[in-house]
Amino acid sequence: MNYTFDFNAVSLGPLIEGLVVTVQLTIAANLIGVILGFPLALLLMSRLAVIRWPATLFVEFFRCTPAIVQIVWFFYCVPMLFNVFLGSVTMGILALGLNLMAFNAEAYRAAIQAVPREQIDAGIALGLNPLQRVFHIVLPSALRASVPVLLTNGIVIFQQSALVAIVAVQDLMYQAKTLATETYRPIETFTIAALIYFAVSFPVSQVVGWLERRRQILTS
Amino acid sequence: MSLDFSVLLRFQEALALGLWTTVKLTLICIVLGCSLGFLVGLARTAPNAIVRGIASVYVEFFRGTPVLIQLFWIFFCLPLILGIELSNLASGVIALTLYMGAITSETFRASLKSVGREQMDACIALGLPRRVQVMNVILPLAVLRAVPTLLSNCVSLFKESALVSAVGMADLMFVGQNISNNTARPVEVLTVVALIYFAIAFPLTRAVTLVEGRILKKLAI
Repeated sequence: MNYTFDFNAVSLGPLIEGLVVTVQLTIAANLIGVILGFPLALLLMSRLAVIRWPATLFVEFFRCTPAIVQIVWFFYCVPMLFNVFLGSVTMGILALGLNLMAFNAEAYRAAIQAVPREQIDAGIALGLNPLQRVFHIVLPSALRASVPVLLTNGIVIFQQSALVAIVAVQDLMYQAKTLATETYRPIETFTIAALIYFAVSFPVSQVVGWLERRRQILTS
Repeated sequence: MSLDFSVLLRFQEALALGLWTTVKLTLICIVLGCSLGFLVGLARTAPNAIVRGIASVYVEFFRGTPVLIQLFWIFFCLPLILGIELSNLASGVIALTLYMGAITSETFRASLKSVGREQMDACIALGLPRRVQVMNVILPLAVLRAVPTLLSNCVSLFKESALVSAVGMADLMFVGQNISNNTARPVEVLTVVALIYFAIAFPLTRAVTLVEGRILKKLAI
């Protein structure tokens, strides 16, 4: 190969600006996902089919279509269908947030269902009423159990947020694309951008691994 | 606004062609990616620290960065570095195979780990040679355990394959976006595209659940 690397050609300024937008998108989407995912999980487990079915459809739709299709759909169709015009970052947050909500709802549901039957029986034996059983037995252990998956989903959204670059939200990926075209230095730019993404998501995934190992030791 | 889905009837063939590209790309990368993933999964448990290190860096890097940036890197940078032209399909296959290899290697690694210590002890007690231990005891159990996760990895790959539209490969998503731009009817076209993806991925995820139940039952006996 006869390509001379020149990492100085890549100005970090725009990339950092992009990273700030990416982080904003991630945090806001995670707030939506973590908070609203929980009630959605409860709807998923509702005894009433009228409630359960729409919730299931919502979750399955987000889980079974490509994120890029969801984002492009959201950006093109929501303004046309509902006549709302929001800023592109807000749109990005909503699209990513709804996606994450669906994935987190599944995580919560799995965690709630994994609470051992004996614990609930113990609750009954102790004379706790159904509400007390939910709040003092099911919820605390389910929430704790779902933390690793919630964190993993959070990093996945951090990575998926790169997709909003396609609809011209000026996130890290978008800035990298622009910079690569402006400087004719795709290798350097994309490598640096990839390393920035990696530098954020790798530590979080290590924390998840540590939490999971600790949990295994504690539960075994 | 009024919706008119009949617009799509004119583009049936184009959509079918796009879908075929998506399916073809997914199938090729499933085969290549799973093979790569199995080898990398083994490499991550290798006694040699260098082999282990290289495998870990590969897996962590591909799992720690957005697939979109991996695609851009392979589409724009790999040809520059290698000094050769890569066709769209070749770049797409390379990118998605590397992605699939990274995620399936974790699946294989987890399933290799989950094969109980008792099985190994039983092999030793029976005096089975090492090759028989690996080929006839550990491998079948590990693969069996890996199947449900591998299937969901395949569904993920199918979904991620839509990203190649961003680098100009004419898959279902790309065709859909083109039609929607040309007809100025994004709502109808993009909704149908989303439904096509859903119609394929949803039954697959159901199948994963079914297979998982069967295998768990089988392993319990």
